[in-house]
Amino acid sequence: MWATIRTVCKKELTDHLRDRRTASMIFFLSIAMGPLLLIGLTQFISSVEKKAEAREVFVQGGENSPQIVNFFARQDISIKDPNANFRDLIKQGKHDPVLVIPKHFEEKFQTGTADVELVFDDTRQDSGNASIGVLRRLMRGFNAEVSAQRLIARGVAPQLIRVVDVQDVNLGTAAQRAAGLLFIIPWITLLGCVSGVTAIAIDVTAGERERGSLEPLLMNPVSRAGLTTGKWLAVAIYGLAVATLTMCGFALTLNFVPLPNLASVLSISPTQYLGFAITMFSFAPAMGALQMLIATYGRTYKEAQTYVSYLIMIVSMAPAINMLAQFKDATWQLFVPMLGQLMVITRILRGETVTSLHFLLPFAINMAISVVAVLLISQLLTKEKIIFGRA
Amino acid sequence: MISVENLKKQFGNVQAVNGVTFIARNGAITGLLGPNGAGKTTTIRMVGSLISIDSGFAKIDGIDVASDTDGARRACGLLTDSRGVYTRMTARENIRYYAELRGVEAARSEKTLARFVEWLDMKEILDRRTEGFSQGERMKVAIVRALIHEPTNVILDEPTNGLDVMSTRALRELIKRLKSDGQTVMFSSHVMQEVAALCDEIIIISHGRVTAQGTTAQLLEMSGKDNLEDAFVALSDVPGAPHTRKEAA
Repeated sequence: MWATIRTVCKKELTDHLRDRRTASMIFFLSIAMGPLLLIGLTQFISSVEKKAEAREVFVQGGENSPQIVNFFARQDISIKDPNANFRDLIKQGKHDPVLVIPKHFEEKFQTGTADVELVFDDTRQDSGNASIGVLRRLMRGFNAEVSAQRLIARGVAPQLIRVVDVQDVNLGTAAQRAAGLLFIIPWITLLGCVSGVTAIAIDVTAGERERGSLEPLLMNPVSRAGLTTGKWLAVAIYGLAVATLTMCGFALTLNFVPLPNLASVLSISPTQYLGFAITMFSFAPAMGALQMLIATYGRTYKEAQTYVSYLIMIVSMAPAINMLAQFKDATWQLFVPMLGQLMVITRILRGETVTSLHFLLPFAINMAISVVAVLLISQLLTKEKIIFGRA
Repeated sequence: MISVENLKKQFGNVQAVNGVTFIARNGAITGLLGPNGAGKTTTIRMVGSLISIDSGFAKIDGIDVASDTDGARRACGLLTDSRGVYTRMTARENIRYYAELRGVEAARSEKTLARFVEWLDMKEILDRRTEGFSQGERMKVAIVRALIHEPTNVILDEPTNGLDVMSTRALRELIKRLKSDGQTVMFSSHVMQEVAALCDEIIIISHGRVTAQGTTAQLLEMSGKDNLEDAFVALSDVPGAPHTRKEAA
């Protein structure tokens, strides 16, 4: 049995390492994942920060209210003219919010109240909307100043209409707000562990069938469990390599690339890396086993690819499900592959407590998945439909 | 020696093999002849323990295929129509993989391999990756890997299918050599000339049954025809009472 496992595993590893194009693609993507993600996040955060501190705003019709323009100038805010068709551009996400001061503003303003428009698109997810806050704050300040002056002119103490003075005390920095996006890191890395082994998982199962090498292979006087275990081991080793390379990518980027605005929210200690690694190391082999099981039903590589893509879709939707269902971190999630890993890695990244349960439970579940999948595949390989069913 | 008795196999409603009985002797070439769909491949797959046997038994050198599957597999080398090879590995590596799986010592398998390489003229392709191999080249790799553990029984399912003249000839030579080494060789075919030219004993299978069995001369006599083709047609097309060679003492 051991000899069989070793022979099969060795053969599959050599065979697949020789598939240079696929192998180098997978390994390159694994190692590049960390740098790409982290540098992307850094860029994003710095653009958020820049906008939040913006001393420039778009105002249309500034000539209609010299008083507002004057107020902005006193606040050290400079005014820019918006593009002529800024409304369309805002809808397309190509223009920052604009304050519109209508004609005849001054007349209405002198007689009582006048209004201004704040044009923006709140469906925009990027950093563009950061200047809305600035504009709102400015107009609130302008309002307060003018009404105070008017009250004083009438001999009323301005405090009278200001029963409660609400002051913003925001302790969060823009970087921290952007850190909410850190869920992308565990998501992408875990997804990498799954899709990184797809090619080999399909090739050792459906590939054997398509190529007509399964039948002679099964003629050998060795147990099918031995054959399957050997194949799984090769897939698992591949998966561990992908996970390790991904981790290295992250570690190298965090340590050697200056990421000023991420450094504060994302400093990973060696023990945290260890937790990261343990989680991925048990996840990748289980996902390999599961993909092998699914691919065993495929008569051709292509057919198997279709089946496996459904699994990958489900796995990749996990964070979305998590967000929509608003799951709070709960122990039951540890029982669900992907959700559990997502939760543990997110906790590690946030610097929250992680207990041994967070590692042992998913590890046990993943081992169970692997064992059951390997046994099922061995069983399937005795079925005539699977052995002889060729496309 | 391969002995098969009253072998039966049903797929759904189809009785693919319906009581096949024969013996393939040591040092002889036995041919399974029959039209397409007669049950030759199913019989061979049962003997090779690739599919389960519904009833009856198959024994290889006295080892029961159903109860000692691994023992029976060690005693025979089987080439089916699945001749897929690993294209990123060389011919030698493909063969060595099977040798290792069967626990053949490296030194020994190298010696066996060297013999086959000479017989089948494989020197040039041995250390080339099998990507782009011709059918004939692939067959050579498949046959060597099936026989690398030096089994005493050799079963070949339609071995010449899709091969050119050169490869067919090389294969025929190999079969004769195996016979002269005292091995039991059994192969199936639907080409009667091929079977007639090589076999010591011919078993005609039709509709899942053995309809006739004997040497070429005996089959001609049995059918009362003067050429093989007519004899084959006459003997394959006999529902019910099978022609069998008189039990020669």
